[in-house]
Amino acid sequence: MAKRECGAVREMKKIFLFRDYPFAIGIPAIIFQMLFFYLPLAILVVGSFIAFGEEGRLQGFTLEKLLFFMRAPYFKVIGYSLLLASGNALLCFLIAYPLAYYLAFRGKRIKNILLFLLIVPFWTNFLLHVYAWFFVLERQGFLNIFLQKLGLIHEPIAFLNSLFSVMVMMVYYYLPFMVLPIYSSLEKFDTRLIEASYDLGASWRQTMKKVLLPLSSRSIKTGFFLVYIPSFGEFAIPELMGGDRQMFVGSVVAHYILGDTTGSLGAAFTLISCCALIISATIWFKLIDYLLKRCVK
Amino acid sequence: MRSIQLKKLKKTLQGEVIVDTIDLKIPSGKFFALLGPSGCGKTTLLRLIAGLEQADSGQIFLGDRDITGIPIHERPINMVFQNYALFPHLTVFENVAYSLKLKKMPPATIKSVVQKILEAFNLENHLYKLPHQLSGGQQQRVALARAIVDEPEVLLLDEPLAALDFKLRERMLIELIELQDKLKTTFIYVTHDQFEALTVADQMAIMNLDGQIEQIGTPKEIYEFPTSSFVAKFVGTTNILSGSLTNLETDPYIDIPQLGRFKVHIPQRKDWMKEGCPVIMSIRPEKIFISKKEVQNFSNVLKGTVHSIVYHGRSTQYNVMLPNKTRLQVFEQNEEHFTQEVIDYDNEVYLYWQKENAVLLEK
Repeated sequence: MAKRECGAVREMKKIFLFRDYPFAIGIPAIIFQMLFFYLPLAILVVGSFIAFGEEGRLQGFTLEKLLFFMRAPYFKVIGYSLLLASGNALLCFLIAYPLAYYLAFRGKRIKNILLFLLIVPFWTNFLLHVYAWFFVLERQGFLNIFLQKLGLIHEPIAFLNSLFSVMVMMVYYYLPFMVLPIYSSLEKFDTRLIEASYDLGASWRQTMKKVLLPLSSRSIKTGFFLVYIPSFGEFAIPELMGGDRQMFVGSVVAHYILGDTTGSLGAAFTLISCCALIISATIWFKLIDYLLKRCVK
Repeated sequence: MRSIQLKKLKKTLQGEVIVDTIDLKIPSGKFFALLGPSGCGKTTLLRLIAGLEQADSGQIFLGDRDITGIPIHERPINMVFQNYALFPHLTVFENVAYSLKLKKMPPATIKSVVQKILEAFNLENHLYKLPHQLSGGQQQRVALARAIVDEPEVLLLDEPLAALDFKLRERMLIELIELQDKLKTTFIYVTHDQFEALTVADQMAIMNLDGQIEQIGTPKEIYEFPTSSFVAKFVGTTNILSGSLTNLETDPYIDIPQLGRFKVHIPQRKDWMKEGCPVIMSIRPEKIFISKKEVQNFSNVLKGTVHSIVYHGRSTQYNVMLPNKTRLQVFEQNEEHFTQEVIDYDNEVYLYWQKENAVLLEK
């Protein structure tokens, strides 16, 4: 009996803990984040600046590892990764916005079916997607056969192992990350604002430019960075679809981290590419803001 | 300022008739109110005129120009939306300048025009605020300014004051009337609030739940001479008594079971008026005189007991139980601080009215 009461008291205490210190509810998440994100990140940053001697003895502070990557081939790798990420995010946006618009305003009865079709690929294995695209893009693949049947080409084109196949796979894989945030914001968009714009003499195009785009700017940015950030470090898709034509950040990091003695070089390169990502993302953020503001003017 | 004419306009949504073959002429430069209960299709009618909806059949004329097929952004008709629909990402100035910018006016002209109109609406201190930083009444005025700044031929107002409190609404109504007087633009005002409609309108139309127009006329005509029981009941409050019409040729009266005979006034003989036909009589509560004493010079009298009393300030409402167990409402103006005759609960009272003040309607 006494024990039971004790339990109840403990129960009460817990409740008061959450009521009086609302952040207490976040403690598990904070601990998780500390252990598995901030701690490794700190190790990575520190590791980039510390030199190890023979047998793993500490030798003190060094910039050597960072300077090792201050060379043209590595700049090129980062540059290409930025281009890949930007291209992917832009292409996804160009496809996703009209799609989300259609889903939100014109979808009507088939809306849920289309949304379902958009999500379904996530349920199957990633490698399966890659192999499916192999079948489409290979020399005797659907795309070549189709283009030959149309008489547009005579010799099959080598689509695979090119920047083209990487881009196709990237857009294919990342599209839903752009569509869903934009769709969810357009879906609850106050259509009276669109009507008011028409009523005041704006055409459909002017309304898109002056009302819909600026007012969905937050979701555009969300979608853009949901695509941009992971595609900058994307490893699997360029490896599988790109052959060995061009190295991207992901491949270089993997190469060094997985090497026997080059782990800390991998850390340094990760740090450099992270900085490049943060700077480029900030520029994109400002640019998108600027462009959307210009729309209104 | 041009007139709007609707010819056999019809609109169905998902198989349900919303606007049923309406013929309506809205005179130019007038304040026109469209009054009807919620869900009667009055907003749809307004949206048809604005071009936000396409009619199934029928035509809409602006002056003598058929605008039925003209897209919304090319119609010189603007609308003030319910809840305003101000662009939340634009400042007050940009909201009002929206239509002028689309017309490619030079920026200097836009600036002076917008500033002038915002001054007229007492908004000159809020030019660079965003809509959510304004009060309801200010947002309302921005919406109005935005809708009239490019001088439309017709201004549509869709329950524009519904979100405001009573005092503010009364003031805005007066402002609207003055604005219309100044601009001479044709205003079409949609509301379910009879007080608003009666206050603002030069002309008004009553719509019923079947999407048809019941009656068109001035507020006074609508209130004093309703042509159907729907209008009589919907506009203002009224007492409805049903009986049969008798002695039509000489001295007509209405015979009401258990209550007796009451003289009626027939200014114009209608086709449906036949000897002995069932009719209803509508008497406005303020047209009835209540007293405990017997008074001579009234054409009709009824006896009843006071069932309840509601004090409204400027008037007092008496609910009087009649011998046939129906209740009659009576409004009495509170003209004096101390009334000579105090009427209390359960008092036996006489109700008097002149036969000219009751309206006979087809049952």
